[in-house]
Amino acid sequence: MATTMRGLTQFIADIRGARVRELEEKRINKEMANIRKKFKDGNLDGYQKKKYVAKIIFTYILGYKVDVGHMEAVNLISSPKYSEKQIGYLAVTLLMHENSDFLRLVVNSIRKDLHGNNEIDNCLALHAIANVGGSEMAEALAEDVHRLLISPTSESFVKKKAALTLLRLYRKHPDVIPAAEWALRIISLMDDEDLGVVICVTSLVMALAQDHLHAYAVSYTKAVDRLNRLVIEHEYSATYAYYRVPSPWLQVKLLRLLQYYPPSEDPAIRSVLHQVLQTTMDNSAEPSRNVQHNNAQHAVLFEAIGLAIHLDTNSPLVNTAAVLLARFISSKETNVRYLGLDTMAHLAARAESLEPLKKHQSTIILSLRDKDISVRRRALDLLYSMCDIDNSELIVGELLRYLRVADYALREEMVLKIAILTEKYATSYKWYVDTILRLISAAGDHVGEEVWYRVVQIVTNTEDLQEYAAKVVFEHLKAPTAHESLVKVGGYILGEYGHLIANEPGYSPLEQFHILHSKSQFCMAATRSLLLSTYIKWVNVFPEIKPQLVLIFERYRHVLDSELQQRASEFYALAQRPEEDELLQNVCEEMPPFPPRSSALLGRLNKDQGDTEDKRTWIHGGKDANVDRELTRRKTLIQANGSTASHIAIGAPSTQDVMGSLVGLDLRHTEVANSSERPNLAVGPNIDRWYEKLMFSSEGVLFEDVQIQIGIKSRYQGHIGQLAIYIGNKVPTPLTSFITAVHVDDPDALSVTFAKLPPNVIAPRTQTQQLLHIECKKAFSTPPILTVSFLAGSHQTTSIRLPIVLTKFLEHVKLGQADFFERWKLIGGAPRESQSIFPVTLNNAGQLDLSKFRQVVAGHKFNLLDDIDPNPNNLVGAGVLHTSVEGKVGCLLRLEPNKEAKLCRLTVRSTSENVAKEAQKLLQKSLTTDT
Amino acid sequence: MISAFFIFNQKGEVLISRLYRTDFKRSIADVFRIQVVSNPDVRSPLITLGSTSFFHVRVNNLYVVAVTKTNANAALVFEFCYRFINICKSYFGKMDEESIKNNFVVVYELVDEINDFGYPQNSEIDTLKTYITTESVVSATQAPEVSSRITAQATGATSWRRSGDDVKYKKNEAFVDVVEVVNWMGSAKGTTLRADVDGHIQMRAYLSGTPECKFGLNDKLVIDRGAVGTSGPSSGLADRGGGDAVELDDCQFHQCVRLNDFDADRSISFIPPDGEFELMRYRATSNIKLPLKVIPTVTEIGTTKVSYDITLKTTFSPKLSATNVVVRIPTPLNTTDVDVGILGTGKAKYVPAENVIVWKIARLQGGQECSLSAMAQLTSTTTRQVWARPPIDVDFQVLMFTASGLIVRFLKVFEKSNYHSIKWVRYLTKANGGYQVRF
Repeated sequence: MATTMRGLTQFIADIRGARVRELEEKRINKEMANIRKKFKDGNLDGYQKKKYVAKIIFTYILGYKVDVGHMEAVNLISSPKYSEKQIGYLAVTLLMHENSDFLRLVVNSIRKDLHGNNEIDNCLALHAIANVGGSEMAEALAEDVHRLLISPTSESFVKKKAALTLLRLYRKHPDVIPAAEWALRIISLMDDEDLGVVICVTSLVMALAQDHLHAYAVSYTKAVDRLNRLVIEHEYSATYAYYRVPSPWLQVKLLRLLQYYPPSEDPAIRSVLHQVLQTTMDNSAEPSRNVQHNNAQHAVLFEAIGLAIHLDTNSPLVNTAAVLLARFISSKETNVRYLGLDTMAHLAARAESLEPLKKHQSTIILSLRDKDISVRRRALDLLYSMCDIDNSELIVGELLRYLRVADYALREEMVLKIAILTEKYATSYKWYVDTILRLISAAGDHVGEEVWYRVVQIVTNTEDLQEYAAKVVFEHLKAPTAHESLVKVGGYILGEYGHLIANEPGYSPLEQFHILHSKSQFCMAATRSLLLSTYIKWVNVFPEIKPQLVLIFERYRHVLDSELQQRASEFYALAQRPEEDELLQNVCEEMPPFPPRSSALLGRLNKDQGDTEDKRTWIHGGKDANVDRELTRRKTLIQANGSTASHIAIGAPSTQDVMGSLVGLDLRHTEVANSSERPNLAVGPNIDRWYEKLMFSSEGVLFEDVQIQIGIKSRYQGHIGQLAIYIGNKVPTPLTSFITAVHVDDPDALSVTFAKLPPNVIAPRTQTQQLLHIECKKAFSTPPILTVSFLAGSHQTTSIRLPIVLTKFLEHVKLGQADFFERWKLIGGAPRESQSIFPVTLNNAGQLDLSKFRQVVAGHKFNLLDDIDPNPNNLVGAGVLHTSVEGKVGCLLRLEPNKEAKLCRLTVRSTSENVAKEAQKLLQKSLTTDT
Repeated sequence: MISAFFIFNQKGEVLISRLYRTDFKRSIADVFRIQVVSNPDVRSPLITLGSTSFFHVRVNNLYVVAVTKTNANAALVFEFCYRFINICKSYFGKMDEESIKNNFVVVYELVDEINDFGYPQNSEIDTLKTYITTESVVSATQAPEVSSRITAQATGATSWRRSGDDVKYKKNEAFVDVVEVVNWMGSAKGTTLRADVDGHIQMRAYLSGTPECKFGLNDKLVIDRGAVGTSGPSSGLADRGGGDAVELDDCQFHQCVRLNDFDADRSISFIPPDGEFELMRYRATSNIKLPLKVIPTVTEIGTTKVSYDITLKTTFSPKLSATNVVVRIPTPLNTTDVDVGILGTGKAKYVPAENVIVWKIARLQGGQECSLSAMAQLTSTTTRQVWARPPIDVDFQVLMFTASGLIVRFLKVFEKSNYHSIKWVRYLTKANGGYQVRF
């Protein structure tokens, strides 16, 4: 078989050689007729099919319509030869759109190729899916792509392509991919040795994590760990160093990923991150002379600064960053200036104090005059974000001055921002009115309707301002040309408040009328009708100019515009009524203040910013704006969860009434939220036994199966505890991608953190130790859950309860008999007492197992007090619960077993009812189970 | 008026560029190249971009372009372009890229001569040829005399003809060719949807001196008036032509024709230029005689076959014959193969490059009839599209036949010396892509 297709080469040469378009068309018609004939006759071998399909593809690329050959392309895909398969896939991806019926025929071939052992076939199939994957295809094949991604036997390049294919499918059809279900498995790939795979998987994780923050929370640790390995430990292959920067693309992605999550509370993670960011900033302290090196460094640096700001705006890192940024915004490079300003706006949007930024205010204002419009835009955003009550006059003044020379594309946005700032930070109303009127007269066409509505609203609602506003508007209207918006403001304000200034010289009713009416002829119908309303108001307050006004109504009664005509006719009739008639007066009563409402301006500004693929984690504007946004985002996130949940639950689109569906939505939301948050516990008789044992002992085995063994050792002191987890690998292969995570139901009551980053590989037949810091803040009832997942051939996840219970935080108290009973009585009965009677089993000798009782009670950290109860079988205990938030809680206990009845009475009294109940439950559990 | 004049080749390269006014820069040529030459969607010969209008005429893969910024008379501009093309043909024999490149000096001379500051000037080929010559040498001594004569002619009353004594022929002859292009669109049932004739009368005059010619046609207006004006049996001519007088829709004449006379009594009188020229152009839309009848029967059999049955009939007298008959029968776009059978004369084959069956008949006698039957095999397509069924197209030529029915009644030549002259008249009707029938 020839490797090159001569027929095809000849065909292309002919077409290239065609002097005129008509000749080209003729050549193609002829070829297509030939191909039609050949296809119709059938009996083509693979080579011929390949050749003809290739010709069809070429014709199609040239822009001609092609309506044959699809079937042949589909056949080619199932050919065993690579070159034929390749052409087949090429044809499928080029000729077919995602809803084409032919794709159904291809799905099976693609699946076969995905399952095949040949990596190249795998890749071809992945390419095809990534290029045309319609929803049907996505549904059918996402599973297989995922399998290929996670399969340990896949080559790196297959994994890369699989990750990107999955990403493409997710972007196109997010609901096809069970993102939460696959989370751990996909995240575990972030530990792959091949950095290329890591980059691709990180891209995928980024997209998925944006929508499934919780499910992908584990990626946080992974990202930190990877950054640590890249930046601090320099653990990467030389091929991934780009101008001596270790894989900047990956770094940028990881840093961005970290910004999606709220800052971690874990001190270990925080310190590592701090170190990473510090190193990154140190690395780029001095700019290199090599442009590419610089680019790579800056890319990472800006993302790192973004993350630093996201984590904590008060950290010294941010101060360093601010210094760096100050240098960048006066850089010679346009791109650096742009990014510097952008990041600074991020800082301004988040920081508590704007002081460090204000030092550079003059530089930023200068950037408004940058030669590059995007830089100017960023400077504007930054000024908008960093404006506060102190510098508002300066910034607004500067923006106003700049507005006159600003680029047209920028003006509308500027006007909005100036209007918002002026309103937000107005120190005096006079300043506000002055500025806004200057704004309107300067910007003219770029002033949206909202701006002047807002002015009218504010003036109407502020009584002190009205006279001043009327005067200023009048002065502004004196200018030979006034913009229509100004005329509107003037019309409204003079109509309402013109009478306030009418007695002063130069502001007489006649002058007011002349100045306003002289502008009316240049205005549109809407403005003119507004002016008519002004005139009727004047008829009421200025009887001296009534004849002129009536004349105008008279004239306007004959204009063509129906709105104007109607107003004029009505006003005319109104004005013609006799003097003593009170109707006019009533109609023209002064406007009542507007109900307070939020400014429409902000809405307008936010609307302007469309959403992009890679979400920003902040918006322009002060800190408040960001906090607000964060809140709404959370809310919508929860709602979104709820709605998907209801979809899953209902299955089919429900046609219930709205209320019903809303009710259903709420209920389901809670269910789903719980189940999705709490990992599913591993079950087994041994697990429970081990757990029960550990409830009242400080060390022992927590979990064991054929692959791993988990043991713990714990120590508690007051409200602080330490728990060492020993994880042993029992198999002769390493456990890779090892993730341990702790889930706490109520983080306000109990905090459990890792002392340092857990390792992610456990060598064969070795043990690793992880230390947990525990702090009890309040009384809690559910133990934390440890989730361990790892790769050993397949991916495995185990979730086990950690034996961290309330009683662990008890400390002994020594009490005498008198003391004990005094307190016992002091606490009194229910609700601060919790009592239960339960059966007990006797030991083999038919006796009460007193030693066990003592062991359990002591294990639960009660101090066993002897000589208090006369009955030696009865146990008495006392302890103090230490919590960091709620302080100390006393706890007393009496245990009275009865051998004859085989029953036992347990009474716990505590100063806190929750504690009493909880302690009683825990003890009863321990006492009744056999260990 | 015309501000700039360009000639582009197929690729959009500028071959000739002449700016008559200062309101354009040379870069305006780029605008045309980008907007027209490299834009396959543009088919209109007149493009207006902003206030600039481009008029272009395509001839042999050349673009002849005139550019104007004013509201110029479009017909005049196009006439100018076509006139230029005719001049080039007459100078160089043909007009294509090669001849323009080889003779660019002459082309510039011509372009400058026939247009001044954007206003078209004398573009009479005979006159131009007297002073823009392709031969190089004119002896210096003769020059003043020659030039004065040229001046006299170019500015005289008959600028298209040299003065009487210079033209002498041993045999005084005049040839008149009436050439008609017939356009017809027929419906599937055979009724006429649209029919018209574009005709022109080409004349070659080899007449000595300054002859005064009078030309008569069977123009309906003339005939009818003749019938009214001259009563009784004496008006023999009118009787002869009255039955089949032709209604001419609009006539255009060579500049030698005295339009005043024509306007007054529709008589065509003129002093002809020496040699070949186009005497008149006309159009006729009523009473068109169709020389060929096409009866198509096309049936689609299922989705895999189309059968054709095409019959061709001539309607003119058996003494005449149609030559070079070419019938183009469109086939569906997904045709794989066609079997053709012919009853009568000619050869037919399927031409896939154009998606048609081409049926060629060298000669078809009047009254004769022939037919073709064919079967096209189709292949299945991905997207089912209904075949648009473009019309069948017939090209042919019929000598000594006019589709409009126009007849030259007389051509009279008067000259001072009163010599005898011989007149020849020839008729030709042809169809050239505009003779179509739907099916």
